[in-house]
Amino acid sequence: MSSLEQRLQALGRELAFPPEPDLAVGSRSAARPFPWRWVALAAAVVALATAFAVPSARTSILRFFHIQGATVERVETLPPAQERSSAGGLGRRVSVREAERFLGFRLLLPPLAAEPPAYLLDGVLATVILRVDGHPVLLSEYAARDLGLLKKSVGDKTLVEPVRLAGEPGLWVQGPPHTLTYFSASGEFRQRTVKIQGNVLLWTHGPVTVRIEGRISKAQALRLARRIS
Amino acid sequence: MVDRPLDEAELVERARRGDLEAWETLVRTYQGIAFRTAYLLAGNAADAEEAAQDGFVKAQRALGRFRRGSPLRPWLLRIVANEARNRRRSAGRRERLALHAAAEIRPGGAVPSPEAAFVAREDQERLLAAVEQLPAGHRDAIACRYFLELSVEETAAALGVRRGTVKSRLARALAQLREDLEEDT
Repeated sequence: MSSLEQRLQALGRELAFPPEPDLAVGSRSAARPFPWRWVALAAAVVALATAFAVPSARTSILRFFHIQGATVERVETLPPAQERSSAGGLGRRVSVREAERFLGFRLLLPPLAAEPPAYLLDGVLATVILRVDGHPVLLSEYAARDLGLLKKSVGDKTLVEPVRLAGEPGLWVQGPPHTLTYFSASGEFRQRTVKIQGNVLLWTHGPVTVRIEGRISKAQALRLARRIS
Repeated sequence: MVDRPLDEAELVERARRGDLEAWETLVRTYQGIAFRTAYLLAGNAADAEEAAQDGFVKAQRALGRFRRGSPLRPWLLRIVANEARNRRRSAGRRERLALHAAAEIRPGGAVPSPEAAFVAREDQERLLAAVEQLPAGHRDAIACRYFLELSVEETAAALGVRRGTVKSRLARALAQLREDLEEDT
């Protein structure tokens, strides 16, 4: 090895790399379906038990709503969260086809003149940005088997209503900012909390959980959802 | 009785049969070099983490196609590096190396005099700047081969090129570096 090669090698040993992430825990999510029903049920049972057993906790979680792969809880105080712009924090930009390859199912999209780009977050949640009456709307989809649990926290001024779409259950969340936290299927390798400014419609379509988010009315959201379902 | 640690071939066989602990052991063994390779190719930590994560997910799904008896590391590096290169390509940018020499003196290393440390640091910065000026393919070859100390085969796998291409890129890059550094002095 020449002296220049030795210098390069020595330089490589002195370089500062970012800290190495632990990727092993995330690998479980790709390997086997996670018993999300049990996680959601366990989370609900634990939280409910806590809420009723401990006086100080009684005021923290006020009510639960649950559909497949997602839980909405009404709380007195929202958890600290980052602001997120419409396009920020959605993951990396990919084609719809690539997103589908990762997710293992076809994305539910309304009829569109041109295929929009998709954004893939941690390989489990895909989002496309649509426009409804000129306003950007996020359409996100994931299989409950891949995403351990998606939790939405709302304050007492936020409206939460059960809805049904094509016979399947859904939730309409409208009102002041609320937060969204999701956990990976392993329950530990991802936990992000972001503040949502718009309204949200969540519903299930077979094994897929779909959410629409944006500054839209319930009627607009349901109209879009029916075009998708 | 003390259990002996499983060797790589055994771990791969177990992982192929769905043993998640075996797969996690393999991931932990190679995640460091995979992440650093992805970081050099993608140019930032967020893309590198995603590339490494997605790469390992794809590798796990493709384990059935992994040729028995082959070394796992170059195969994994090929998949992760491909993810990292795709991110760099789709972002449409030519990333800088995004590297700098560590500011701290490494534990266990001899403490140089301030003058010697300054000269060494200047020397490192000049060398890193010269590498940065190389064409992307040459720069990546140098980074993989010398900074990460990958073998020629692993460098070829990471860059998605033949061994011969790696060798010729390295030869040209080293010649260019010698020329640039001589001009500097």
